Amino acid sequence: MNASIPSGGWASPGLSALLAESGAPLLALSQARLRLGRQDFGPFDLQMAVGERVAILGPSGAGKSTLLKLLSRELAPSHGQVALQGRALADWPLPALSRQRAVLPQTHDVAFGLPVQLVVSLGRVALAHDPQQERIVEQAAALACAGHLLGRRFDTLSGGEKARVQLARVFAQLWDVRDALVMVDEPLAALDPGLQLQLLDAMLDYARTRGHAVLAILHDVNQALRDFDRLLLVQDGAVVGDMASGVHCLPALERLYGVRFACAQDADGALVVAARRNTSS
Amino acid sequence: MTAPAHLTLPGQPRWAVYWQALQARPAGVLLAIIAGSVWLALSAGAVPVAAADWRAPLADGPLSGSAYVLWHLRLPRIALALLVGAALGLSGALTQGLFRNPLADPGLLGVTSGAACAAALSIVFLASYPGLPPAWRTWLLPAAAFTGAVGVCYLLDRVARWLSAGSITGLLLTGIALNALAAAIIGLCTYLASDEQLRSLSFWTLGSLASASWPVVAALLLLLLGALWQVRRLLRAMNALALGEAAAAHIGVNVRHLRVWVIVLVALLCGFSVAWCGMIGFIGLVAPHIARTLFGPDQRQVAPLAMGVGAWLLLLADTVARSVAIPAEVPVGIFTALLGAPFFLALLLGARQRGLT
Repeated sequence: MNASIPSGGWASPGLSALLAESGAPLLALSQARLRLGRQDFGPFDLQMAVGERVAILGPSGAGKSTLLKLLSRELAPSHGQVALQGRALADWPLPALSRQRAVLPQTHDVAFGLPVQLVVSLGRVALAHDPQQERIVEQAAALACAGHLLGRRFDTLSGGEKARVQLARVFAQLWDVRDALVMVDEPLAALDPGLQLQLLDAMLDYARTRGHAVLAILHDVNQALRDFDRLLLVQDGAVVGDMASGVHCLPALERLYGVRFACAQDADGALVVAARRNTSS
Repeated sequence: MTAPAHLTLPGQPRWAVYWQALQARPAGVLLAIIAGSVWLALSAGAVPVAAADWRAPLADGPLSGSAYVLWHLRLPRIALALLVGAALGLSGALTQGLFRNPLADPGLLGVTSGAACAAALSIVFLASYPGLPPAWRTWLLPAAAFTGAVGVCYLLDRVARWLSAGSITGLLLTGIALNALAAAIIGLCTYLASDEQLRSLSFWTLGSLASASWPVVAALLLLLLGALWQVRRLLRAMNALALGEAAAAHIGVNVRHLRVWVIVLVALLCGFSVAWCGMIGFIGLVAPHIARTLFGPDQRQVAPLAMGVGAWLLLLADTVARSVAIPAEVPVGIFTALLGAPFFLALLLGARQRGLT
């Protein structure tokens, strides 16, 4: 994976090389367990390399968002370890952590109707000194197809526009670092297909040029198979499968969702699957 | 008032000119309005003030009647009204930012009524205690009120964390429960109080700036400057909190740290205001809301402008309170509530129309 990261004119030294030497993965989750109310989650095990793209798939209520919250430090595991770049997540100072990983949540609400420009620039709020902020905010908004929204108030936007602005905030957060981690929780839900493809491409392109790894909770199996390196299957609060993305994943995915998948190839030779009712069970 | 003719474009309503001026330089316009109100407040009252009275402290000898009124009654009172209004406006802006809710205010959290509750207890049970040295009596009420405010804030922080692991909703619900508890204790004190205690109790729970003196003004000024120094560093993080607690943490804001600071500052500002002036309602709710409606929701602007609006509102209410029934004085809390309650209802109506409630 590391070899495919283009080396651009970035200031920071290649973290990928450093991590490869030390053998530490970018993100490591080992035997992490958590109890929320009466539900047990875990044990979760996961390792992510620099620049890797991992999709988390699973039925509703399986614990995908809980897993993401463990990895983003929103929840602390009751047992086990979460480490980013070999350092326990709880030991990171929050401002430093915000320069290494960004999170796009499922809900987009912002109180008080802040101006869009301010919302996007909040991605960089942890920086004490940020001379490039204005330029980066404009470029991040443009990349997320939200450039025309910068003069608006957030609470006057439609659902799809809000999603774009939040994505722009995440872009701005990790705009000028390398080898970081972007976590997204169903970022494309409730968007029309055209916008879904456009924003997914923008996100993957953004991550690729900077060597950022992407960890995404997805609902669309096609997006996961087409654009991600690995699939992490989550069911009943535990990881039930961790496999390289490809046609061979389909049986596991059929068991996961309790459906049958019909496959076809489109004109470019890419795999397209559609869910069918599972008549055998 | 009419706009200067040369500024009015054809087809443009006259108020639009003032509106544009307000939008362009909110702080400047606000300061001008406050200055005008101070001038009004100086001339209002039973004793007229002459120009010579301004120079009276420079001359030798004791102050004349009207000079005394100016320098020892009216000026400190105006200063106190401005400072208390600013403190209440700032604590309102901080509370609303923390709760991500324009309807939150320190009164809703129970901070104000906690202070009132402690003061009521001290009036009814402690003030008549024979073992108390006379010199301590003047400080008893402020000290009790301040202890009450800090106590409620401490309880809020403890109970809310214990209930729902630091969520804002838990804090708000705890505040509502504490409010009910404080109201019950105040009711009990009213029931047990003698006639004289009752008068002191009722005047004080409605709020009054009559206790103004230069030492109190100086103390509040110091407190406000200290609070501003700290608030200035928190406002960027307060903006981030508008995204929600989780998202604020993701972009590097230490939400726990921020929450503790906001609670401590609100306890200090409210506790001090209630300690000397009693319960003055609605300024903390209305001032930040006016600031936000007129000048936009960026906390870095809302906080200072809410201080200005709060100062102006309280000065106006107090001027009316002490000049409407000369020589008697109406508790200022009545006028802030008379202004505030209809505004609060309008606010709720507006929120309903935007589909927020």
